[in-house]
Amino acid sequence: MRPERTAVTRPNLTRRALGRAGLLAAAPAPLLASCGIGGGGEMVLSDEPVELRLSWWGSDLRAQQTNEAIAAFEKQYPNITVRGEYKEFGAYWDGLATTFAANDSPDVVQMDEQYFNSYSARGALVDLNEAGEFLDLSKIEPDLLFTGQVDGAQFALPIGSSVLAFAVNADMFAQYGMELPDDTTWTWDDYAAIAAELDARGGGDITGSGITGGVDVGSVRYWARQRGNELFGADGDVTLDPDLLVGLWEYYLGLIESGATDTPEQMVEDTGAGVEGGGLATGRTAFGQIHNTQISALRQGSGADMRLLQLPQHDGTPGNFIKPGMYWAVSAGSAHPAESALLVDFLVNTETAADILGTERGVPANTEILAYLAPQLDESEQIAVDYLAATVPGEPLIVVPNGASSVNPLLTRLGQEVYFGQTSPEDAAEAFITELQGEIDATK
Amino acid sequence: MTAAAELRELRSTPAKSKPENKAAFWFLLPWFLGLFAVTLGPMAASLYLSFTKYNLLQPPEFTGTANFERMLTDERLHSSLAVTFTYVLVSVPLQLGLALGLAVLLDRGIRGLGFYRSVFYLPSLLGASVAIAVLWRTVFGTEGLFNEGLALLGIEGRGWIADPETALSTLITLNVWTFGSPMVIFLAGLRQIPVMYYEAAAVDGASPLRRFTSVTLPLLTPIIFFNLVLQIIHAFQSFTQAFIVSGGTGGPTDSTLFFSLYLYQRGFGNFDMGYASALAWLLLVIIGAFTAINFWASKYWVHYGD
Repeated sequence: MRPERTAVTRPNLTRRALGRAGLLAAAPAPLLASCGIGGGGEMVLSDEPVELRLSWWGSDLRAQQTNEAIAAFEKQYPNITVRGEYKEFGAYWDGLATTFAANDSPDVVQMDEQYFNSYSARGALVDLNEAGEFLDLSKIEPDLLFTGQVDGAQFALPIGSSVLAFAVNADMFAQYGMELPDDTTWTWDDYAAIAAELDARGGGDITGSGITGGVDVGSVRYWARQRGNELFGADGDVTLDPDLLVGLWEYYLGLIESGATDTPEQMVEDTGAGVEGGGLATGRTAFGQIHNTQISALRQGSGADMRLLQLPQHDGTPGNFIKPGMYWAVSAGSAHPAESALLVDFLVNTETAADILGTERGVPANTEILAYLAPQLDESEQIAVDYLAATVPGEPLIVVPNGASSVNPLLTRLGQEVYFGQTSPEDAAEAFITELQGEIDATK
Repeated sequence: MTAAAELRELRSTPAKSKPENKAAFWFLLPWFLGLFAVTLGPMAASLYLSFTKYNLLQPPEFTGTANFERMLTDERLHSSLAVTFTYVLVSVPLQLGLALGLAVLLDRGIRGLGFYRSVFYLPSLLGASVAIAVLWRTVFGTEGLFNEGLALLGIEGRGWIADPETALSTLITLNVWTFGSPMVIFLAGLRQIPVMYYEAAAVDGASPLRRFTSVTLPLLTPIIFFNLVLQIIHAFQSFTQAFIVSGGTGGPTDSTLFFSLYLYQRGFGNFDMGYASALAWLLLVIIGAFTAINFWASKYWVHYGD
């Protein structure tokens, strides 16, 4: 059952007409009035000089590229100057919440799936459908575009996408005389057997596999979707069947006890170390779960022949999903929403920007831009793009609802309690659902 | 002039007649502005917010004492309180004990005192910094320096920070390690004790241990008291170490979930600023209570010279 994607199918003309009709009257005004986020300007271009603020999280490389793209934008629109602000992921969200609270938010913000609904539900973001002629949404991959919508309103525009993958160290498989599994047919039992075999042949030098699931949202979603279930329902409530979560944790408990995987202590250390510093990159483990776009960092960090495999199968039901890597969103408090929309359009839809930004923010959601970039990709980027093309996703992802932005830390904490033997899988699964639903209810 | 006469004199002179008072006012103004704008203002705001539901993006909504009632059933709050109390009650006595012990050793007038004092003081300057917390994570990792040291002794280590059973101990060790600042204060206190007491005790045939327990300790009690109050307040507010070492999670499994870290998670992670404000006031009450108990108990064990 696929929810309707009104915004995607709406013809361009209507949007343009809407844009000209003066959108302030349409939807956001009453919303703004009720939310206390004011200062929003009209959706028209100004002839005066305009200053915008653009904020994002990420690495120095990203900052360098984004500033370069900003310069190209300013060249094209001489009356607009853009001030870039960037931080590290954690600090970014603290700072963003504070600036929104102080009515001093940046005009254009980089958004994440975990926080998107927390902001949109509080009226903090502009419905980009209202940007009309200033922002073209028609080239964005529809499933992805859907992940930025709430009831048809496009509160955020996906920049790029990623999908879940198993990374394997092919060098290590060769070293221990093992063949890579056929990822079109293998099952969870096959995976367990291969990990155990590798671990045995490694003779203590390596661990068969990292703990690839149960402490992160992705693996739980995948496991549930393979079994016809979903973490969140379309109405924004938790719909996860606790028995499935119990099953997932018990599966990994079995692997941990058999010694085929890392210990929980190693898992905790790996989480802190990130992709480039974890057991997969340092050559301790042969298997790990990553997002396909992380393969570049992993190949660089390990220097090994890392490949991507589809996750194990279950009854042939596709469990994977195209996850919006990150979004651009325009603050409802922006005094210059039209110019902000222009900036987003430039970053996402132009070849000029694509030449500068590449695939650093994920495989581009704009299908034309992706085709344009295809010949320029390096080997690692090509692996990620090929993997995405080979992935058969299930239903479009239902993004993290309002109130549930802490779902990942919650899952990490309870999953760790289970793996360290402090709580039974049954109690932890029940606690997970109760606590998460409690957070969601508290915002209603 | 006696003190009483001086006081009378002061009282009888109208304040405005002295030009220095005007100058004093202007010199104090920046401090007053800071006090009201940066300290008292936000405190008043946070007191109000603690009675509301406030998600940072929408106006706060008054909910009466709901936030405080919620504390009674909030299990994560209870476990964070347990972690914080353990941390304070274990690390502060250990830290002060170590500081006092080293201060007494250094006070014997060894060569290069200045050098040792600086070296021991260094961790206090660095202890709460992000860099040291990052270093700590590396040192106590499975393949860290600490385990390599243990391996030399033939002991197999573990992931000290990744194991819920030992994670808090590493943070306690980190805090104990920053014994330098109380140590320097102890050293200054030891220098204040007149030598004649020791001479008198020696003449009476008191052993070094007896001299320590009967002369040094009683005369040092005001300094011990000062350090105790300061370090307890400091330890209750600890945040950086746990935040960096656990990557902001308070993990593994909430074993390093300091009170202030939990407060931070509620406020910024869950957009739950009303409840976070209420938690901040709870912390203030707890610290206030500890300090009050300290002052009350001090009557029975702190000796002020004369």
